[in-house]
Parts: sequence; C-alpha cells; structure tokens
Amino acid sequence: MTGLQLVNGLASLLIVTSLLVIEARGAAQSALYYALQSLVLVLVFLALAATVDAPRLFAWAAIAFVTKVVLVPAIMYRTLGRMSDPTLAPRRFGLAWTIIFAAAVVAVCFAVVSAIHLPGAATLKPALAISLAHFFLGLTCIVIQRNLLKQVFGFCLMENGSHLTLALMANQAPELVEIGLVTDAIFAVVVMVIIATMIRAKLQTLDVGQLTSLRG
Amino acid sequence: MTPSALLVVLLLAPVAGMAIAFLASLSGGKRAAVVAETAHVVAVAAVAAIALALAASVLTDGNVLAVGSWLYLDPFAAILVALIGLIALLTGVYSLGYIRHDLAAGTIGTAQLCRYYGFFDLFVFTMLWTVTANDIVMMWVGIEATTLGSAFLVGFYGQRASLEAAWKYVIICAIGVAFGLYGTMLVYAEAARVLPDPGEASRWTFVVGHAAAFDPGVMRLAFVFVLIGFGTKAGLFPMHAWLPDAHSEAPSPVSALLSGVLVNCALFVLIRYSAIVTPATGAGLPQTLFLVLGALSIAVGSLLIFVQTDIKRLLAYSTTENVGLIVLGFGIGGELGVAAAILHMINHSFTKTLMFCGTGNILMKYGTRDVRAIKGLAALAPATGAMLIAGALALCGIPPFNIFVSEFMLVIAGLRAGYGWLMVLCLLLLTATLAALLRFIGGSLLGARPQGARPGEVGTLALAPMLILLAVVVMLGVAVPQPVTRLVQGATGVILRSTPATAAVAAPWQPSWRQQPN
Amino acid sequence: MTNLAFAVILIPFAGAVVAGLSPEPLSKWTAQLFALITFAAALALAFAFDAAGRPSLVLDLVTFGDAVLLGITIDPISVLIILAVVGVGLLVCVYSAAYLSLENREHPDRGRRSYYAWLMAFIGAMAGLVFASTLAGQLLFFELTGVCSWALIGYYQDQSSLRAATKAMVVTHIGSLGLYVAAAALFAATGTFALSAIGQLDDTMKTVVLAAILFAAWGKSAQLPMQMWLPDAMAAPTPISAYLHAAAMVKVGVYVFARGLLAAGAVPQTIGWLGAVMAVATMVYGFLLYFPQQDFKRLLAYSTITQLSYIFLALSISVFGSPLAFEGAIAHVFNHAFAKSLFFFVAGALAYTTGTRLLPELRGILAQAPLIGVGFCAAALAVTGVPPFSGFFSKFAIFAGGFQAAAAHPLLLPLLVIAMAESVGSFAWFLQWVGRSVLGKPSPKVAAAIPLPAAMQGVLLILIIMTLCSGEIAASWLGGRPS
Repeated sequence: MTGLQLVNGLASLLIVTSLLVIEARGAAQSALYYALQSLVLVLVFLALAATVDAPRLFAWAAIAFVTKVVLVPAIMYRTLGRMSDPTLAPRRFGLAWTIIFAAAVVAVCFAVVSAIHLPGAATLKPALAISLAHFFLGLTCIVIQRNLLKQVFGFCLMENGSHLTLALMANQAPELVEIGLVTDAIFAVVVMVIIATMIRAKLQTLDVGQLTSLRG
Repeated sequence: MTPSALLVVLLLAPVAGMAIAFLASLSGGKRAAVVAETAHVVAVAAVAAIALALAASVLTDGNVLAVGSWLYLDPFAAILVALIGLIALLTGVYSLGYIRHDLAAGTIGTAQLCRYYGFFDLFVFTMLWTVTANDIVMMWVGIEATTLGSAFLVGFYGQRASLEAAWKYVIICAIGVAFGLYGTMLVYAEAARVLPDPGEASRWTFVVGHAAAFDPGVMRLAFVFVLIGFGTKAGLFPMHAWLPDAHSEAPSPVSALLSGVLVNCALFVLIRYSAIVTPATGAGLPQTLFLVLGALSIAVGSLLIFVQTDIKRLLAYSTTENVGLIVLGFGIGGELGVAAAILHMINHSFTKTLMFCGTGNILMKYGTRDVRAIKGLAALAPATGAMLIAGALALCGIPPFNIFVSEFMLVIAGLRAGYGWLMVLCLLLLTATLAALLRFIGGSLLGARPQGARPGEVGTLALAPMLILLAVVVMLGVAVPQPVTRLVQGATGVILRSTPATAAVAAPWQPSWRQQPN
Repeated sequence: MTNLAFAVILIPFAGAVVAGLSPEPLSKWTAQLFALITFAAALALAFAFDAAGRPSLVLDLVTFGDAVLLGITIDPISVLIILAVVGVGLLVCVYSAAYLSLENREHPDRGRRSYYAWLMAFIGAMAGLVFASTLAGQLLFFELTGVCSWALIGYYQDQSSLRAATKAMVVTHIGSLGLYVAAAALFAATGTFALSAIGQLDDTMKTVVLAAILFAAWGKSAQLPMQMWLPDAMAAPTPISAYLHAAAMVKVGVYVFARGLLAAGAVPQTIGWLGAVMAVATMVYGFLLYFPQQDFKRLLAYSTITQLSYIFLALSISVFGSPLAFEGAIAHVFNHAFAKSLFFFVAGALAYTTGTRLLPELRGILAQAPLIGVGFCAAALAVTGVPPFSGFFSKFAIFAGGFQAAAAHPLLLPLLVIAMAESVGSFAWFLQWVGRSVLGKPSPKVAAAIPLPAAMQGVLLILIIMTLCSGEIAASWLGGRPS
C-alpha cells in the first residue's frame, strides 16, 4: 500500500489502542496499552517520515520511542502499578457505549477537519482528524474518569494526539521544539504521579469523587 | 554588561537559587535552611535589579534580543519582567518571615523549607522564561512549566485540601494548556507555510511580521484554542474553576505570585497571540471573544465574592474579576482601551500582592482564613490592619489608589467606543465587589480586639514588603511615574502594531491626557 | 488667590496626616488648629476675591493638548460655599473635641485619632470638590468624600453602624456611576473633561450628560430613589451627622448639579421637568416620613432630605428661565448648612447631657438648659423658613423665582403649590415639637442633665447668630454687592 494509506491506517490503529487504555482494568494494564499505543505512534512517524520526505521525523520517532514507549510507561508501571483503590466501581459506562462514543467523536473530527482549509496537510486529513479525535478522547477520559490514575492516562492520550498533529502539520520545526514538548510531557506525568501518590498516602483513595472538600 | 547578556543572567539567577536550595534540602537542618534562604534572597534580589535595568534599557535603547533570537524583550515583555522581578522580590522577602513562622509552629521541617525556596525560584524562572521567549512553542512550554513548577507550591502543606487543590490545578491547567498547544501548532503550521525560512516559523517576531498573509479561517480556529488554553491559566471564565482552590490553598506569598504575576504571564501570551491573529482575521473575533469572556468573568467574580467565607478564596474571585477587566480592556481595543488594560495588569499585581501578604499576616495571627472567626485585626495589629484597610479600599477602586485610575481609563475607553451599557453593567458589578469588601473590612478588620489574642505585629519581615507595596499602590494612584507611562505606551504600540502610542496613561489629574482620535 | 485656593484644599489633608499620627490626646487639638488655619485661608480668599472685583477664574491645572483633567474654579458660588463648608468644618472640629469624651452620656468615647484624621481628610475632599472645574475632578472628590463618610459613619465600630456605613458607601457609589457616564460622554464628544465644555454640546448630549450628573446628585443628596442611606447614616457620631449629612457631603449632589447647569448655559427643558418632578416626589416622601419619627436625628435626616429637594426643585425651575430661583438655591445651600448643623448640634447637646435622643423623652428643655432651648427654636424656625431667620430669605427667593417661571410654564404651578404645602406642613410639625420639647416642665431625663461643655455652648451660640445673619450674607454676596 502507499505511504499515505499506511499512515492513515496506522492512525486508526491509534484509536483502537486508546480505547484499550481507557477500558483497561488498573494502572498496570493501562501502562502496557499506553506503551503499545506509543509504539504505533512511532510507526506512524516513521511512515510519515518516509512518505512526505521529512527527515527530521526520524529523529522524532527515535525520541518518541525512548520517552513514550519506554520511559513513561516504565514510570507509570513502577509507581502506579501497585496502587489500586478497591472502593472504586469498575466501570461507569458499558464498553459498547464507549465504542459508540469514540466513533462519534471521530466522525465529528472528520467533519471539522474536512471543513477547514489546511493547505499544508491536505492529503493527510484522515490522520489529522484522528489525531484531533485522539485529543478529545483523552479529554473525555479525564473528565469522566473517577480514578486519578486513569486521568493521568487521559492526559497522556491528549498529549499523544497533540504530538501526532504536530508531526502532521509542522514537521519542519527544529528538534528543540519537539524536545521541549516531550520533556514537558514527561515532567507533567511525573508531577501528576507524585501528587497522585501523595493523595493515595494521605487520603487512602484514588477516587476523584472524594476530592470535594473545596467547594463554592 | 550588554542588555543581551543581562537577559541571560536574568534567567540564570533564579536557576542558581533553585539549585542551591534543592541541594540544601537534601541535607536538611538549620544551616541548610539558612543557606537556602540566603541563596533565594540573593537570587530574587538579582532578578529584581536586573529586571529594572532591562526595563530602563528597553526604554532608552529599544528592544533586546539574546541567544540568537531565542529571547526577546520589547516594552510589553519589559513590563512583565519588571513585575515578575519586583513581586518576586517582595514576596520572596515576605516568605522568609512567613515560612519561618510555619517552621517554628512545627507545620513543616527544615528540608521542606529548603524545598519551598527551591520551588519558589523555579516558579520565578518559569515565569521569566515564558515572557522572554521569542518562540511561540517555547512560550507554550513556559506556561506549562509554570503549572508544573508551582504545583508543589500549591500542595505545599500536604493537607487534604491542598492536595485536592494541587490535583485540580495540574489537571485543569494541563488540559487547558493542551488546547493552547493545538492553537500554537495551527499558528506554526501557517507560519511554516508562509515564511521563507521554516526554521524561523516559530519565532514570534517573524511570525507577527508576516501575519497578514495567514489563512483567516485557520487563525480563527487557532485563536479559539489559544483563548481556551491560555485563558485557563489566566483564570478566565469559564475555565476559572481551579483558581479559587489553588490560590487559597497555597502559602500566602505563593498565592500572591499566582494571582498577581502568573495570571499576567498567561494574559501576556494570550495577547501575543492576538497580535498575530488580528492582522490575519481583523480585530472582530478576538475583540468580541474578549468582551464576552471578560464581562462574564467580571460577573462571576464579583457575584461569587459575596458568598465567600474564606478570605483567600474571596481574593481569588477578585482576581478572576480583575482578569475579566483586563481582558475587557483588550476587547474594547483602541489605544486607550489597551493602555488601560496594561495599566490594570500592573495595578492589580501590586494591590493583590499587598492583600495576599496581608492575609498571610492574618493567618499567622489567627491561624484561620475564615472571615467569621477573624475579628478586630486593626485593634490587634494596627499596622497590618491599616495596610489591609487601605489595600481593600484600593481593590474596590477608590481614589487615591491605583485601581481607580485604570478602571477610570477603562470605563472612559469603553463608553467612548460605544459600549455604554456594558460599562454601566460592569460598574454595577464592581459596586457589588465594593459592598463585599466593605463588609469584610467592617466585619474582620474593624471592631474590638478579640479576647485572648496576643496584641502586636508579626515581625518586620512580614511588614516591610507590605509597606513598600502600599507605597507603590498609592504612587500609581496619585502620579503614575513617567517611565511606567512610557513603557505602557510602548507596549500598547507593540500590541496594536502602531508607532509609539500616545494614549493617556495616567491618573486623570496628570498631564498626559490628550484628545484621542477614535 | 489661586494659592489660597490650593491652601484650602491641601492644608486639611496635611492636617489629616498630622492628626492621624499625633498621640491621642493631642490629635483633637491639631485637628482644630488645622481647621482654623484652613478657615483663615478661606476667609482670606473671600476677601481677596472681593477686593479684586470678583473675577470668575478658571485655572486649568492639569491639561495636555486639548483635554483638561483637573482644574480650579474660583467664582462667587465656589467662594461662598467654601466659606460655609470650611466654617462649619471648623465648628464641627471644636464641637467634636468636646462631644467625643467619656462624659458623653449617650456615647462615651475617647475620641480616637482616626476620627480626626478622617474628618480633616473629608474637609480637604469637600474643598477639592467645591473648587473642581472638571467632571474628572468632581468624580475623584465625590468618591473621596464617600470613603471618608464611610469611615466616619462606622466610627463607633458596632455592627449596625458598620452596616449603615457600607450601605451609604454603596448607594452613593452607585450614584457615582452617573459621574462616570457624564465624564465619559463629555470626553467622547468634546475631548476634554472641563465643565465649561458642557455648553458646547448639542441638546441630546447635554441632556445625557446633565441627566447622568443628576443621577449622581440624587445618590449623594439622598433623593429618591437613592434616599434610604441617609436615615441609617444617623448612626454616626452627631457632629458627623451635622457636617457630612446635613451641611456638607449631601450638598455635593446639589452642588455638582448646580455646576452642571451653570456650565450648560441653555439647558434642555427635559432636565428641568425631570429634576422638578423627582424633587417634589422626594419632598412629599420625606414629609410623610416625619410623622412616625421618634428619634431626633432620624427626624432631622428626613428634614434634610426635604430641604435638599427644595434646592433641587429650585435648580430645576431655574432651567425654565429664572435666575432668581438659581440664586435662591445657592443661598439655601449656604443657609441650610448653618441651620441644620445647629439643629444637629442641639440634638447632640441633648444626647450628651441627658443620654437620649428620643423626642418623647425630651421635654422642657428651655427651662433646664436655655441655650439649647433657644438653639432648638432658632434651628426649627430657620429650617422651616420663618422670618427673620435665614431660611426665609432663600425660600422666598425660590418661590419668587418659581412663580416667575410658572408664568411661562403653567405646569410648574402644581409642583410649587405642593412645595408650599410641604413648607407649611413642616413648619407646623416642627412647631409642634418645639411646643412639646422646648416649653413646659422638664421631663425626668432632662432634669437630670449634666452641664454642657463650654466649647459646645460656644458653637451653639455662633450658629444661632449665623441662622440670623447667613441669609443676609448670602443675598448680598450673590447679589453682587461687596459684603
């Protein structure tokens, strides 16, 4: 298949993996699925680098591999894998609803992306739509999830979506830009993990619904 | 030292302070505490001094570029840098007394004290980075870094409420700033398409220069994302939910930095973007959005102030209200509106810092933030009480204090631009704030001394910064100094992409008002 | 001359700082000293003004290009009013020094420094307002007088006075919105804030600006619909009620309205009707509320409201072409200042000596304390306008001017008739109180009264004399003859 089809195909795989991350039971499983998803992302970068002749993307792929496939999931697995909150109910919405919702988000994003005029990335619009959908799926995950750790994963999903969009639209940016972005993402995850650990230790819960002492 | 070199040193100073403080925290103990405090004071003092020198240099010699073109200082950035420097110095010195009080009370240990100063200096560094960066992506990184750098300051006390506040802060701001990233990328993509050298496509100075050639549709979308993103950090409605929690749970000097300076940094980035978007799309969308969100923020802020029983949450909602006023000024536009907004950024910083330091004193004296439990402060600690009364009156917009001046300018600009009913509505909302603050003064500051409390002040380290802040508040209210006026006019010119502005930036009784063409 | 005007504005502020920082027993004396110096400066200004042939001066203090931001206006009106403001201010300082003492039976109090500091600041703010020649300047001092009033109403620092203080501040602040709008509209249309520019506006803009000023004036002078703060403000120490809420601060409203009318030249009649109708409505409202009042000060508060409506009515009538009505209004501002302060000081003297201000408990004052009794009568007669007291002359001028204008505008007649009815009615009502409280045998509370301090006696005496003379002074000053 052509490079473009590869890119777009891999991008749709991203949606599948992000659903896996959202639906996984427990932080350890989510971490593994997240590593998987980041691997797909790296593959997308590689395919993109070859297709649109953007050599910088090879470097991006390497950086993304080290940080997102290895480092972040490792951090998550080591620190959060042991944390669980037995008081949390397993799942708010059925799996079917989640899939339907994800499909709806993707459809909306497709509509939005085809409506706007993006001269730079016209051929890659499907991938772009998916990256936007990815972003909003991550956002939804944060908003509806009651588990703090899942919220962190939601953030990571958002971040992956942004990363892909950047690669699609702005692949000639200097490496420093990507490094800045990625470093920032790592630090964000680290900070969130530390605070989550502190909350677990102090409050013995990971349920966001318990964090209601500040009101009004 | 050349201004460019100074700019680099400006950024390095807080990093040095931070490094020493964190190193000291590893060893802990009394000596480590002293080392951390000293490094911190030296760092913030250096930042303040260099910031003022750079501001002066921008006025006399023009804009400053450093490290190739990675760092940039124009009048608008110079104002922010000076604000960061001065407020960091004053709150940094205030922290000494405040944190030592916590140490003496046993709330924290010496290692935690050192970490406080480490994070404080880190926070200052991230804010300086944000406003001096000439690269739109680096600006974004800076804003995100400010969230991360201050997250542990918000959750400093490790209590249930502080951790909750820290979590909400990090999550909501991370979400918001992620939106900002999308906006940044849209702008970057357009710039890369239009600019001859794509490597420069993220430099603000170049992007702004070519902005007229950008696609209006993309820019509109970008602006909406950017508004959501950086508006979250600024505490603009409807993304303000984290602000009362974070600003009230943080230690008081940090609350001052958050309310007084960080929101201004976020607004700074937002306005930098509007300067890019406006040539491409015209001023219609940005100004409309600013007007709507600004007015709503004022409404939410002023109405929710009324029901607050926690003094710091009250001040936090006041910050939302004032951010609304600033954004409203930018929405009104024109030389007078923009100048009023920038002046309000400055005025609000100093006044809010004064108030938060005052609440720090209240906490040290009463051990609570509940206004129903705080009584008779002026009788108990006269200097703090008097300064808080003055600060609260200033916050209401009463002359002869500074907020009156910028609010007056704003109202005049708004009425002249045709937004008569909107301005009247805002004035009425500000009256609600007046009532709430007067109620606070009457209920907590005036009145008889409470039984069983020890009369007396909380120490010079806590009073001296407040006195300096009050002096600045009065000075800006009575006679805005010439350098400030020129900086604000320069900043207005930068934002409106015109030659040095001639808007009247002064108290109504000062000699610099002149007839403005509409 | 302009230096004297500056002195009158700035000396009180200096006095505020000095009084605020002096040790407590001294601060009352520093306040009186500064008030005396300020009064001397005002007198000197009046004489210099007269001797120079009464040139009407407007000095633009702070301008750039075409826009005037702050300025000073020295003309017969401002000089006359400043004399009243600063003169009564001096008397208030002297009276306060005696009133705020631990011997006061109603409100024993040490007389804290903050009182004298805020009082001096208020005098300065009033002076600034009287001399202001721009809307921006008026707004500035309008707000400053508001905050001083807030601080002074809440002086006793109990919950009810603090609430009253907040209410007063908030309501008058809403009134200040009018000045914001007026200033902005004027600036937008003419590029300057100077009052004189009002005359250059077209009729629509004039109506807008003057209506906005009128709104602000209603707020500050406790007219409908913003009148409720004044009766509650009686929680202030009585000298403050006398000064701020009778003689000076409430006059800010009528004063800015008068200045606006003066600057506008030919005023659209809409403003005249608006002002006149609201004035008469307030007058009736205030009058009706006399009847339930038992608290002496609250009764005086409603009387102040109605007297201010008289002034508003007169100013509104002057729009229809009656300079006599305008002069009557200004004269009434002058006369009422002295008459009402006297009345309040009488109430204060009674509170000090007997510990009560409830009218039913105060009987036979004349027998027990003749000076207070005479003061009561003089004040009542002056306020209701009985010759030979001052109020008569200004009210006469108002009605004369009114009937003059009504000749050309017959619809004014009903308003004037209502006003006259009110005048007669309040005369009757106050006469009734005079009969009950002043004459006859002393009630138990009055009989047990302690002696009145000499300072307060002196002030009462001076004011009694003024209620006889001030009419003549005002008339001759405004009429143009050297005094």
